[in-house]
Amino acid sequence: MNETRSGDAMLTDWREAAGRFERAVGGAVVGQARAIRLLTIAIFARGHVLLEGDVGVGKTTLLRAVARALGGAYERVEGTVDMMPTDLIYHTYLAEDGRPRVEPGPVLRRAEDLSIFFFNEINRARPQVHALLLRLMAERSLTAFNREYHFPNLQVFADRNRVEREETFELPAAARDRFLMEIGMEAPRDAESRRALVFDPRFHDTDTLIAGIDAEVLDHAAIPGIARAIQHGIQASPAIETYVVGLWEALVRPGSAGIRLPGIDMEALVQGGASPRGVAFLVRAAKVRAWLEGREWLVPEDIRAVFPEVMAHRVFLEPVYEMRRATLVPELCRAVFDTVPAP
Amino acid sequence: MRGLIPVLVVFLAVSGAAEAQVRTVEVRAPRAFGYVLGDLVRAQADIVVDAGFTLQRASLPQAGPLAYWLDLRDLRVEESVAGDARRVRIFLTYQNFYAALDARALEIPGFAVTFESASAHGATTTTAQVPAWQFTISPLREVVPPARENPADYMRPDGRVAAVDVQPLWWRAGGCAALALLAFGALARDRAWGPFRARRGRPFGAALASLRRLARSPDADAAYGDALRALHRGLDATDGRRVLADDLPGFLARHPAYRPDAAGLRDLLAASRLAFFGPGPAAARAALPWPQLEALARRLAAAERAA
Repeated sequence: MNETRSGDAMLTDWREAAGRFERAVGGAVVGQARAIRLLTIAIFARGHVLLEGDVGVGKTTLLRAVARALGGAYERVEGTVDMMPTDLIYHTYLAEDGRPRVEPGPVLRRAEDLSIFFFNEINRARPQVHALLLRLMAERSLTAFNREYHFPNLQVFADRNRVEREETFELPAAARDRFLMEIGMEAPRDAESRRALVFDPRFHDTDTLIAGIDAEVLDHAAIPGIARAIQHGIQASPAIETYVVGLWEALVRPGSAGIRLPGIDMEALVQGGASPRGVAFLVRAAKVRAWLEGREWLVPEDIRAVFPEVMAHRVFLEPVYEMRRATLVPELCRAVFDTVPAP
Repeated sequence: MRGLIPVLVVFLAVSGAAEAQVRTVEVRAPRAFGYVLGDLVRAQADIVVDAGFTLQRASLPQAGPLAYWLDLRDLRVEESVAGDARRVRIFLTYQNFYAALDARALEIPGFAVTFESASAHGATTTTAQVPAWQFTISPLREVVPPARENPADYMRPDGRVAAVDVQPLWWRAGGCAALALLAFGALARDRAWGPFRARRGRPFGAALASLRRLARSPDADAAYGDALRALHRGLDATDGRRVLADDLPGFLARHPAYRPDAAGLRDLLAASRLAFFGPGPAAARAALPWPQLEALARRLAAAERAA
């Protein structure tokens, strides 16, 4: 990095790099511009991401594409019902000389260089595994083999399909709260992308598709520094602070904010959640979006653009309404933005 | 029923224990003659049984046609205590459809009713036979009436119908219509139909008024911020939701009346961003000076009045 350049110029260069990154991923994953934009925001906000969606919409492809374009060491595990936390940390086997060996598992194998840890089908793993992941995500550290490992560049990407419920384990609230975003993915709606996905042979072979992406568009080791620079460089005015606090209040206590949804007892709808950590994540992600949009200050649109993905999974509804979560929470988010005055 | 005369009385011979359970059966009728076509023929059957016996209602005859000329219209039972016995009184109403040409006696058929005495050891039943009885019916007209020239003269003249006063009906109809109208009015108010539709206020008009008030304020920066806020509230109230800068195309699509001011609105929202979220009110005032802001507010209020 050029020392003589000002911080602003550095941020501008990185914005262009982020644009290249988005284009590189977008070339392989079509019709998912919003998911790619949100993933880019998550990368520069140093947040972990949970992708959720139907089977075969391209969750895994998207994450593999991001991992390739981002560069750095990459590990991947598949969640299964019999997976234990130790399976992530070490691997035991009998060597050729007949002696037992213990070797580092997926998390430790690349040691501190690990930049992307990709957990496929996370809800198939047991809560014990979620607990290990909790520490890995929150503190980016792990204790194993009598020492502490640190993963300064680590980012956890997980995916979960929402179709099946059998033999799955719902993520505990604490684990969900540590994900910066939960991005819902749907198959592209526009006819052009759909035709391409179905008929263009390029999209049929995922490995070749991923291999076609420019590798290491971003310098993954520099991203934590850039992320810090973004957080310091983007200004939040008092008006936006008032706005965010107003949104937070309205989300937790929609009844007293004057929000009414048909057929819902607003006083009893929201049980809790929307933690301070969540709101801090919200502002972090919004600042990255402001930076990507080429602004040096936050505007309400930045908050609104990342709000559903960052906040929706942190709201806990009363059990009566939990089954209707998929429709209620987006409605609630929309109502919150329709109610809280921006300036 | 004091006027009833016994038509037939059957005293049962006290010959055995079984028969003794039904003591008497008596059929009484108000009169046994003087009936014509269509008359109701009433009769009452009194049955006295030993105490402990109760009538089995299922054994009573069913109301309905009994013969081509006779219907049983109604049947009612009263039970009472008569000394050491029990009296069952059956009120029967027949209707006669026999068109007689001369006075003649007709027989109403008898029927049997069953009584039951239930005890811990079992039930004893006994039957009381209500006998058939006769009554005399008379013709309605002469068999051979005197000859008339005009066959229509055989017919009786039409009865006269009293004129009905329709005025109260009109009054009642009018009252009901008024009530219906009132109820419809209440429904329309509840549903906000027609004249009850909430009149949209004039938010931009209100914003313009507060801008004029703010123009005299000494603190120019604060007044500018308040003016922007007033116009924001105008946009919000017009759209029924909070309108952010990025929502402007949607707003213009929903409210075409403001399309001529699209550029002005864009400048307004850009200035609001600068004032509230960016460098500050001073920069915003440089981008959109007060006179332009007030002119925009005036144009928006005018568009609102025209819409």
